[in-house]
Amino acid sequence: MSEKVNLNVNGLEIESDPNKLLIEACEDSGIHIPRFCWHKRLDPVGMCRMCLVEVETPRGKMLVPSCTTEVSDEMVVDTESDVVKKAQEGVLEFLLINHPLDCPICDKAGECPLQDQTMAYGPGESRFVEEKRHFEKPINISEIILLDRERCILCARCTRFSDEISGDPLIEFIQRGNKTEVNTFPNEPFKSYFSGNTVQICPVGALTSTSYRFKARPWDLKSIRSTCNGCPTGCSIELNSSQNKMLRILGVDNDAVNQGWMCDKGRYNFEYLNSDSRLKTPLKMTDNELVEIEIQDVYSELAEFIKDRQTKVNFLLGSNLTNEDYVAFREFSNTISKSERSFYLNDDLLYKGFFGENIELAKIDDLNSSDAIVVWAEDLKEKLPVLYLRIRQAVKNGVKLVVFGHTNETLSDIADVFYGKDMVSENFEILKDLSKMKEINNLVAGKNITAILGKSTPYQSDESVTKLFEFLNSNANSKVLNAYSKGNTYGAFQTLENLKGLNDFVNDISKDNTDLLFIVGADPIGRSVYSNQIKSIIKSIDTVVTLDNFNHETSELSDYVVPISSTLGEKEGTFTNIEFRTSRIDKLVPSPGQTLSDWEFITSLMNFAGLTVETNSLEDLNRKAYENLDSSLSPVFDNLDKPSNLDGMINIFNPKIAASENKLNKTMFFTGEKLYGDSATERHSDSISMLGSKKFIEVSESVAEKYNLTSGSCILAQDELEVTVSYEVNNSFPNDLVYIPTNRRELNKFDFSREIMIIPSQVKEALNVN
Amino acid sequence: MSWDDKLLKQAKKIIKLYPQKRSALGPLLHLAQSKDGYISDDSISVISDLVGITEVQVKSVSTFYSMYKQEPTGKYLLSVCKSISCEINNSSEVINKVQEFTGLNNNETDEDELFTFEAVECIGACGGAPAVQVNYETVEGVTPENAINMCKWLKETKPDVVVADEMQENFGGVKSFDWAIQDNSGSTSTAPGFQTLNTTKVKK
Repeated sequence: MSEKVNLNVNGLEIESDPNKLLIEACEDSGIHIPRFCWHKRLDPVGMCRMCLVEVETPRGKMLVPSCTTEVSDEMVVDTESDVVKKAQEGVLEFLLINHPLDCPICDKAGECPLQDQTMAYGPGESRFVEEKRHFEKPINISEIILLDRERCILCARCTRFSDEISGDPLIEFIQRGNKTEVNTFPNEPFKSYFSGNTVQICPVGALTSTSYRFKARPWDLKSIRSTCNGCPTGCSIELNSSQNKMLRILGVDNDAVNQGWMCDKGRYNFEYLNSDSRLKTPLKMTDNELVEIEIQDVYSELAEFIKDRQTKVNFLLGSNLTNEDYVAFREFSNTISKSERSFYLNDDLLYKGFFGENIELAKIDDLNSSDAIVVWAEDLKEKLPVLYLRIRQAVKNGVKLVVFGHTNETLSDIADVFYGKDMVSENFEILKDLSKMKEINNLVAGKNITAILGKSTPYQSDESVTKLFEFLNSNANSKVLNAYSKGNTYGAFQTLENLKGLNDFVNDISKDNTDLLFIVGADPIGRSVYSNQIKSIIKSIDTVVTLDNFNHETSELSDYVVPISSTLGEKEGTFTNIEFRTSRIDKLVPSPGQTLSDWEFITSLMNFAGLTVETNSLEDLNRKAYENLDSSLSPVFDNLDKPSNLDGMINIFNPKIAASENKLNKTMFFTGEKLYGDSATERHSDSISMLGSKKFIEVSESVAEKYNLTSGSCILAQDELEVTVSYEVNNSFPNDLVYIPTNRRELNKFDFSREIMIIPSQVKEALNVN
Repeated sequence: MSWDDKLLKQAKKIIKLYPQKRSALGPLLHLAQSKDGYISDDSISVISDLVGITEVQVKSVSTFYSMYKQEPTGKYLLSVCKSISCEINNSSEVINKVQEFTGLNNNETDEDELFTFEAVECIGACGGAPAVQVNYETVEGVTPENAINMCKWLKETKPDVVVADEMQENFGGVKSFDWAIQDNSGSTSTAPGFQTLNTTKVKK
């Protein structure tokens, strides 16, 4: 670390790192300087002039904006002088000239920096008697974001965020001077996966979300810190509720993980908690219909099965459980049978990954300190959105980026080297000899690199990724971040052994080895590429118990459906992210009806069946989850609740994954998932339910030509199944490739190992006429 | 794409002059203006594709500068200076006369789409105040009478090229100083006359 500089602020001696901004140095020393436009995670602009302070210069004391002034040694600063106060009053009087007095109906009121700082630093009265400027009250700049231009004070936080951080600058200042407004281009809405962040950082009520607008007042909100379990990034979040209803999620600035940002799915996919369609009572299949049943009856009927030592039990677990839930299932499984057992995760992309004693696993922060980042995985913007932001940030700081695969085109525009269709075949094999590729060798050889590796699609062979891994491992000083993309997968790694994915489930499970199947928080029929196979397996098995928040295609075929509480906001527990950072999941709202946590259900069931139960409480399970770790390093509740560990605790771990390689034949179709889909929770979250409902495919140019696709839509057909979809031509695809997003119902029902027909809609229409 | 091949070729030529594509944004907007007389949303989409920034970013720049018109202009854009030097030298009377003749308020275009009138801030010709621009070709020392004469001349002859020196000779008065090299090219549209934009013709 370079030497510190010493400053005198308001007569106090403070110390700071050189090259720091004055406003930040003061903040670190506990001296608050008011501001609107400056944000720790954005480049400074000096737009609002609220942070003016007096600095001694050779020409006497001068007012300078502290957000654009770097500290220097022996700087003398006054942040509270009369001149500064007068400047602050002046700035606020100007800012308030055009700001409407609609605080009584404004969502921001009560947590509004403009309101607060006017109280603290404002002139107290206005001399402005003219007419304020007027704009149409909120306009929809996207399906989920509203903009009230009258309230905007032109700090440029939102426009800078969309330009610098998320890289989709679809909002900008239009006009100038008194007419300046933030707006989008006509018919080009602010369609961004990260748009919710602009609402959070807006220092006034100009940007609001359809989700939270007019729902509550900040002083009525109850809040608690938790962790988002949407994807393995594990963003730190704050949950807000009022009157026992979850109303809002905010990003928390966890320096090592999300730095305050979130994706919109994480931010708004909570509304399902308040849905009327939530399962509230246990159901039992009686005469082909699910009818309500007492939970005691569920326990006693299932207990009969379990008491019988001959009963063969298996588990298909979703990725949204807490680590404690996973432990509960493990304990249950160990108690009923001592023989080794596999757990199946609801993940059609689970594979062995890169773990082992000789492999150094990376942390998210390593992205910033490496010389280069190499990515070959699913599209990170779709699957691990905030990790995508961290890559963007690293690249902005000068880290080189090498991207493989046509499925990663969202990173291609910031990549130094993009190996698209020329390098990666339609079978997801690397086409050329890497050691002869000049560009990658220049960037990688002998350097510190972070490799983000995963499989782009279920059809990709393990071997192809391994080839890249081995090249990197032998040529560079590499660390690996395994990019699994589902919820708490890493928590399952940490707590369960012999993990297998959905392809193994399809191969292994049959009525011969399973009498009782638990499907927990998963809808593999509604959302996986093995939909049909799993459907017939489930139909054949004697007793199937589904635990979930909603009824869905899988639960409708189950014998028992048990309503469970959501991991988001209704449960306590722990979550482990992509870098094996374990952090707290906390409970804010009560869960509806007779819902239970998964672990409560399993523990009660064990008690009913008269099994020995060692883990009767959440604390027991929590301790059990980490019993093999040194107690001071173990992420048990006691440790996680210490203020120093709020951001989570890292325990790097080598999981035992028993998943076998996927042997699906790939046809011209390959599958993946987009950020938004139409899973049960998404369907019941009003704000985002429309975002994943559109059925579409992406085709390469040659496919569009071959099938004469001109009308914007086409029909996918196989056997009896016909689905009308719109299509988009994707120029980065190799010839003859079609992508199908399978997190949309119906689209996952095809048998992807066989041909699927593409019929242009004009042909279909002609057929219908005849 | 609403730009024809000729214009696109021109645009690509301009982009090549800059180390980064987006630096060509200013001239490309002038080019768009020379095509339509204003910056249309269609042109913005074309430019956004050409330089690789989003449409709203182009829109942001085009609406910031007042020389990029957001509404269609007439064949001749009359800009009369209203800043201090010109005001002292009776530009308000010039403004009145021009408005009277054209029947236009500030920033209006007549029905024939012949004239657009605007009263503008300093155009850098204080030495020869009051100054007027026709399609950004500057004429200095314009008396109210000469302003009318100039408008009449424009209306009657409808020249395709307006040339500063020519108008200065016929309708101008005191000139501040000779602008750099002698320039007998002119402007062919409501964008400034630049060789690179093809908005000028060298007169023989």
